Amino acid sequence: MSEIGHTAQLELRNVTHRYDGKVVLDISRLSIERGKIYGVLGPNGSGKTTLLSIMNLLMPPTSGQLFFEGGPIQYEGGSRLEIQRSMAMTLQSPYLFNTTVEGNIAYGLRARGIPRKNRAAIIERALQQVGLRGFAKRRARELSGGETQLMAIARALVIDPKILFLDEPTANVDVGHIQQLEEVIAVINRDHGTTIVLTTHNLPQAYRLAHHVFPLFEGRLVASTMHNVFGGTIKATPGGPYFDTGKIQIWIPQECSSSPSHYISVNPGDIIVSKRPFASSARNRYEGAITQVIDQGGGVDLVVSAGETFRVQITEHSFRKLGLNVGSRIYVTFKASSAHLL
Amino acid sequence: MEYLLEAFGDCIGLIFSLDREIYGIVGRSLAFSLTATLLATLFGVPIGFLVGTKRFRGKSGLLTVMNTLMALPTVVIGLLAYGLFSRRAPLGFLDLLFSPAAVIIGEFILSLPIIANLTVSAVQAVDPRAVLTAKSLGAGRTMVTWTILMEARFSLLAGIIAGFGRAISEVGSAMMLGGNIRFYTRTMTTAIALETSKGEFGFGLALGFFLLLMVFSMNILFHFLQMKGRRS
Repeated sequence: MSEIGHTAQLELRNVTHRYDGKVVLDISRLSIERGKIYGVLGPNGSGKTTLLSIMNLLMPPTSGQLFFEGGPIQYEGGSRLEIQRSMAMTLQSPYLFNTTVEGNIAYGLRARGIPRKNRAAIIERALQQVGLRGFAKRRARELSGGETQLMAIARALVIDPKILFLDEPTANVDVGHIQQLEEVIAVINRDHGTTIVLTTHNLPQAYRLAHHVFPLFEGRLVASTMHNVFGGTIKATPGGPYFDTGKIQIWIPQECSSSPSHYISVNPGDIIVSKRPFASSARNRYEGAITQVIDQGGGVDLVVSAGETFRVQITEHSFRKLGLNVGSRIYVTFKASSAHLL
Repeated sequence: MEYLLEAFGDCIGLIFSLDREIYGIVGRSLAFSLTATLLATLFGVPIGFLVGTKRFRGKSGLLTVMNTLMALPTVVIGLLAYGLFSRRAPLGFLDLLFSPAAVIIGEFILSLPIIANLTVSAVQAVDPRAVLTAKSLGAGRTMVTWTILMEARFSLLAGIIAGFGRAISEVGSAMMLGGNIRFYTRTMTTAIALETSKGEFGFGLALGFFLLLMVFSMNILFHFLQMKGRRS
């Protein structure tokens, strides 16, 4: 997300969307920077597809304003179609027009009035880029799940979009094609400088692919929850299960002992900061040093190196009272129940 | 059974007789029905598309009316149109009664609700993702419309075939509006009705077989077009 003052490629301000009176999306501000990959992370029903559809201008939000390269987007009688033509989107379950692979990929080119004689070379290049060389004459509906996604990406790529939206690109894809898809996404961004916004409920994938990950929960961006994300394995002991990150051990709730998860997150707001060991029932306590202090306007975020790097939220009052600064040695403490397996 | 076989034999005889009057009747039937079907397609598909894709107040009521019109008795259409086209009627000045144009109008009115209704079903059956995909790839309103119609093309063609079937097989309005005038408005169905009323059951039945054969041939042609479309 961009800092205020930069011209974002696409920006949402105070955007809300309702279905049958229920708020399904509520974004106060979201800026997309040129040439970056963004991962929208969230469970089913969190509003990911609605967000992508609004960003792709497929539907106007119930309220709020979108800006493209600094200019406000007008839906009626404005430049919506022209702006929309500089973007492309693939659906979680891509729709294939009842024709050949070539016919499907040519669709966006026809929409832009590209002459027939120029299309073949563009289509061939796009197919080559996604690893589907030689598929042009095949019936689109005879492709496998992975090939379908790759074809949908090729269909979007031929129009050389400035922003590419990918809705759950690997959701219906066999394991063999997932790595291929991820490589294609990375290459598109690297070689073409295409901004990519993808949705996923796969945390490792989001962090693997995206420069920025923003979690979406019940239609709202909940950036803070995902700061303290650690990878590792769960170990069971007579004293209870803990999560071994390789650097530190984090006690987790008993009921999580048999979870297959390899990721854990700790809400920055659940972590207690103290200058001396904090006397409480909380089992997780680590000593470390503050490496960064971020003023959040009303609150302060601390980045603490304590075996792993923790992000901690405290009030300005606590920050002043404790007399903290970069380099201060502190203890971070949190309960086992504050550790959430992902 | 023997009677039917005899009629079938007469039918084959008619086909190979190359009789000018018989082939005139066949040609007229085809010309009237195809013209009426073409006109009903030009009006019915856009009507069906709009009703099928737009949301508006009274839509379900309109759909009920459209469904009812599919079962419209041909004689009623003939009667109503007769009332409009006869000399003293509001459209009498057009001098259409007992002309090919009147027969075509009657068949058009009968085919229109069938084609419009089946278009509604066809476009409503198109996956909503088709529209979303088209828009996300930058298609404007016209291209989105065309895409929906293309995705529904096989069902649309089936609707047009059904409309053609209704037009070529109807007798009531063709008789009332065309008057069954020899070498002018006589079609296969009106000829069958005439022959039967004269007591020429065998000849009427032979013409009936001929009509069936024609409809069957047209359906094979349409089916071939559908299959060709699916393969290409």
